Amino acid sequence: MDMFLPYIACLTIALALYAALRPSPLTVRVGMIVVAVAAAGWLVGLVTGSLSAFADASQGIFFIIFSLCAIGSALRMITHVQPVYSALYFVLVVLSTAGLFLLLEAEFMAFALIIVYAGAILITYMFVLMLANQATSPNNPDSQAQYDRVPREPAAAVGVGFLLLCLISGTVINGSASLPEQGNELTKWSTLEHLPKQFQEDVLALDSDFAWPPVASGQGNVIHIEGSEVFIISTNGDTLVLPEEMLPRNTQQVGWSLVNDFPVSLELAGVILLMAMFGAAIIARRAIELGEQEKRRVILSEETEAGGQS
Amino acid sequence: MMTVSALSGYLIVSGLLLAIGLVGFLVRRNLIVMFLCTELMFQGAALAFIAIGHYLFDYSGQVMVIFILTVAAAEAALALALVVLMHRQGDTLDADAFVELSE
Repeated sequence: MDMFLPYIACLTIALALYAALRPSPLTVRVGMIVVAVAAAGWLVGLVTGSLSAFADASQGIFFIIFSLCAIGSALRMITHVQPVYSALYFVLVVLSTAGLFLLLEAEFMAFALIIVYAGAILITYMFVLMLANQATSPNNPDSQAQYDRVPREPAAAVGVGFLLLCLISGTVINGSASLPEQGNELTKWSTLEHLPKQFQEDVLALDSDFAWPPVASGQGNVIHIEGSEVFIISTNGDTLVLPEEMLPRNTQQVGWSLVNDFPVSLELAGVILLMAMFGAAIIARRAIELGEQEKRRVILSEETEAGGQS
Repeated sequence: MMTVSALSGYLIVSGLLLAIGLVGFLVRRNLIVMFLCTELMFQGAALAFIAIGHYLFDYSGQVMVIFILTVAAAEAALALALVVLMHRQGDTLDADAFVELSE
């Protein structure tokens, strides 16, 4: 029975989502979303076990808050009738995900996510929505366009989503049993020769008495981390304790990994952005070309303006 | 620093975001909201990358999220330019109105 509990949670989420997608009064929809979020919280609780899985209790509480906020606003986003509100709920999803990134000690990515998603991409979406949407009154949902009010094949779509969710949760639950209880934190972290030259020079300047043996190719001075202790084991077995503030920060490490491990991908990302810019400019230029009627209207309005001025 | 149970929690949340984005993409008929749902799926993938990167003490996960952001920005620019073009021609955002494109 125990092994079926996650799938029952998945089924509850799917049924509540189906009920929330169908055209119904607002209170019913919101209530069904609350049910789905509660089932999602149950699923996460089943998988995680207890708060002791996290480094400390506050981290677990923040994880629960941020993840439920992300799931709830994602559900509200796909069920909301008005596209502008969908976009605003997506901002909430982005902010909650950024919070989860902060819990995972990815500070740079958290703020890059807020700047790029909430700041740039979402502004583009809102701009296009304002440009393309017909004016509607917020109090009367029937004034919304018909294609926004009536979903397309909700039963089939929720079925596909339920199968995907079952697959993912089954994989996570069964696969996590074969993983080691902790990552390779306690083992070899990196060799000194693999790290930036500036860091190497700082370490070499740390202790002038330390005997640095010559390093053969293929091996190096290994950096170990144990708890808060960081030390270097040189090739002939001597150890040197590093102060913790000397270690490279998260942002430095990400930048180092970006240019050292993925140089070609970095260039390709630049090419992709350039191509997107060219493509968008060409599409937008074609969009400006007016039809016959609009041309006539523009010429007429210019003539009346000129007539009014003279 | 990070236990397997915590990692599975993060992975389940990312899987939920992915599944919700998929359902939204299939269910909604507004072109702009459909593209918004693909962004939701990107969020789920990014969360999985960062959680596994944190568990394995490997910074490649965060680098992958930088590339995800790049692709998402390029996709948003191109897709929205196309949506504006289609809206000018058809005066609707309904995906079903452009069925004749498939022929």
